[in-house]
Amino acid sequence: MPKLSEIKVGQRVRVLSVEGSPQVKQRVKEMGITPGVELQVVRVAPLGDPVDVVVRDYHLSLRRSEGESIVVEVLA
Amino acid sequence: MKEIKIAVVGNPNTGKSSLINAIAKANLRVGNWPGVTVEKKEARLSYKDYSLYFIDLPGAYSLTPYTIDEEIARDFLFLEDYDVILCVVDTTNLERNLYFVVQLMELEKPLVLALNMFDEVKKLGYKVDPALGAILGVKAIPTVAVREQGIEELKNALVEVFEKKLIPHRLAYGEDLEVLVEKVVNHLKASNPDVEKISLGVVFKILEGDEKLLEKLNLKFDKSELEEMSAHIRKVHGMEISDFLLDVRYGLATGIARKVLQRPEIRRRTFTERVDRVILSRGLGIPIFLVVMWLAFKISFDVAYPYVDFLDKAINEIFKKWVESGFKSLSAPDWLSSLILDGVIGGVGTVLSFVPVIGMVMLMVTLLEASGYMARAAFLMDRVMRSFGLQGKAFIPLIMGFGCNVPSVYACRTLDHEHERKLTMFVVPFMSCGARLPVYALFVSAFFANHPAEVLLFLYVLGIGVSLLVATVLHKFYFKGTGGPFIMELPPYRFPTLKNLAIHTWLKLRHFVVKAGTWILVVNVIVWMMLNLPWKPEKPEDSLLGKVGHLIAPVFKPLGFGDWASSASLLTGFPAKEVVVSTMAQIYGSGGKEEGEGEEKTLSFKNDLKDLILTFAGKTKEAVLNFSTLRIATLSAEVPEEGKGILSELRSRFTPASALSFMVFTLLYFPCMVYAMTVKSETGAYKFVLQIVLVTLVAAWIVTFLVYHFAKLIF
Repeated sequence: MPKLSEIKVGQRVRVLSVEGSPQVKQRVKEMGITPGVELQVVRVAPLGDPVDVVVRDYHLSLRRSEGESIVVEVLA
Repeated sequence: MKEIKIAVVGNPNTGKSSLINAIAKANLRVGNWPGVTVEKKEARLSYKDYSLYFIDLPGAYSLTPYTIDEEIARDFLFLEDYDVILCVVDTTNLERNLYFVVQLMELEKPLVLALNMFDEVKKLGYKVDPALGAILGVKAIPTVAVREQGIEELKNALVEVFEKKLIPHRLAYGEDLEVLVEKVVNHLKASNPDVEKISLGVVFKILEGDEKLLEKLNLKFDKSELEEMSAHIRKVHGMEISDFLLDVRYGLATGIARKVLQRPEIRRRTFTERVDRVILSRGLGIPIFLVVMWLAFKISFDVAYPYVDFLDKAINEIFKKWVESGFKSLSAPDWLSSLILDGVIGGVGTVLSFVPVIGMVMLMVTLLEASGYMARAAFLMDRVMRSFGLQGKAFIPLIMGFGCNVPSVYACRTLDHEHERKLTMFVVPFMSCGARLPVYALFVSAFFANHPAEVLLFLYVLGIGVSLLVATVLHKFYFKGTGGPFIMELPPYRFPTLKNLAIHTWLKLRHFVVKAGTWILVVNVIVWMMLNLPWKPEKPEDSLLGKVGHLIAPVFKPLGFGDWASSASLLTGFPAKEVVVSTMAQIYGSGGKEEGEGEEKTLSFKNDLKDLILTFAGKTKEAVLNFSTLRIATLSAEVPEEGKGILSELRSRFTPASALSFMVFTLLYFPCMVYAMTVKSETGAYKFVLQIVLVTLVAAWIVTFLVYHFAKLIF
């Protein structure tokens, strides 16, 4: 299964699970990235990291390292 | 009159501050939360037959705390006594805000929602079902805080829920959790017979295993019971209870949002998204960022510095003159007038004259924050900053440090991770602030008059280099493994109102002014005493300061300037680095003017007023001229008036290498008392301040040593 950090700009994905340390996982989920939610990678920062995603109709920025613990499936 | 105590909460970026300002008007009072220096805003106002007492809690995304702000909010909501909760909601971002609302409902207190940014909701074509309040068992009032719309209705709703004791509906958390809730309630009742009411919120905190809070609540709960329950959830759902609870809560929030929020089928690209396509783009993102930083910098310094000169003249020349003549006419003792004139007015006045620059820096920061650009700057710079163990949001404090290190420390508040906040504060002092310029100016004109720009550039770059180097080292060995995650909301761009800008700038500036009136005052009096004791020393060398200078001079021998005078000057630079130059001038200044006797000072109120007005006009012109040039004018150093007489004196005592060495040490050693006091008040720890003093001194010594010996080879 791909991870959020591997997703290209513009692709829509559905979150399957969130892994990682309890604290980071908690915060990622509380910001709205919970299993089942759809999100889209809008852009990558000019220097390659972090990324800007739209989730639950707002923009959230996180690093690729956080993205590595978010397992997703790509939507058509 | 009945008092209603209202806890005001909300996610960050919901316009909560604007709403508080709109409600409170002139009744806003600002203090600090006990033990920490997160701002605590309160307001008391009468409405109908009630006294409404608002307490503004820091912004929070959740009641499971992650930042200091969230811990304060949680502690207040669970431990303190209050009547009503007012939650400010960003209605354009309803779903995530509802996740927080669901947690608030669990507290079983009357709840009012301010559906803020309601005008933006309409613009987006969203429709919010007016039944939202009824569905949740709360009052939901549309508001537009920046235009003060919906405020009366809000106050009305607060009184209504208070009088009717309207408790939010109990939402259904699903069979698995409900069973656990019942179990926990039974256990709690059995082991805490004297506790009457236990809210659902407390029950969930127990299930989440929030032991810190349970301790504060003074509730007993058998941990082995909890173990059994979590084993069950783990078996059925494959996750911890806290995790499962989070999912259920978000599910509830999503369900409510679906029920009440109607969105247009085709989502239009918002204004913010169109702007960000340029501002965060691959090609233009960084250039635009550099231009914005340059502008903020230029406005802060070029526009504000002329007014520093003006205030300096007003305080240190004209005001001082009047006080002096006042003392003379009262024939006050010599020591008293010297203490007040040189110690108090000279010291505190000099610091206060920096208010224009600090205020302007604060205004720029407030503007960047309120408009939403600060989050973009962090987004753009995160990759660079991470290489040094810092993160994107740390960039702003560091840049501001070129102006003054003190506002930088305040700007570190935007960093939510405690360790990152401290690390950033730690390395801010290496950014060369404006107060060090007079020292450079003096030595550059004495030794490097042919290459002023190169030497200044070298010093600035050296400061940046040392700052990043120290950050890297500290990150490796001291703040170990603390690279917090970078999870940040990119809020929509918003135009802050002038009123809100003014209020928030003042709130930031206030700390500085208060400190100048208290701490800096004390330090200045001490320095004055050391220079004048034993009373009226023949030579400055015989004063207490001179003796101390002799004592510490050997430390600086390896750096090339081991005489008592430069050591003593550096010592007096502890309260403020500008003092280094004035101390040198006092010690070396034999060929200068004898103050107060040479020219007769005339006292004419009319002339002084005219002088002040003319100076103000002249300085305003200077500010405008400064702004119209591309370069940052204030960064080109001028020799301070008091230093001109001692250039030859300096040439006979320093070599070019030791002069460079002295400048480098001035650049790098501990910045000033105001910085120290600010760090103390922002972190609450003297120990941390002492560590900074120690590390900056050691780093300064090592780097200066290297620079000195390297310079000796070249010059």
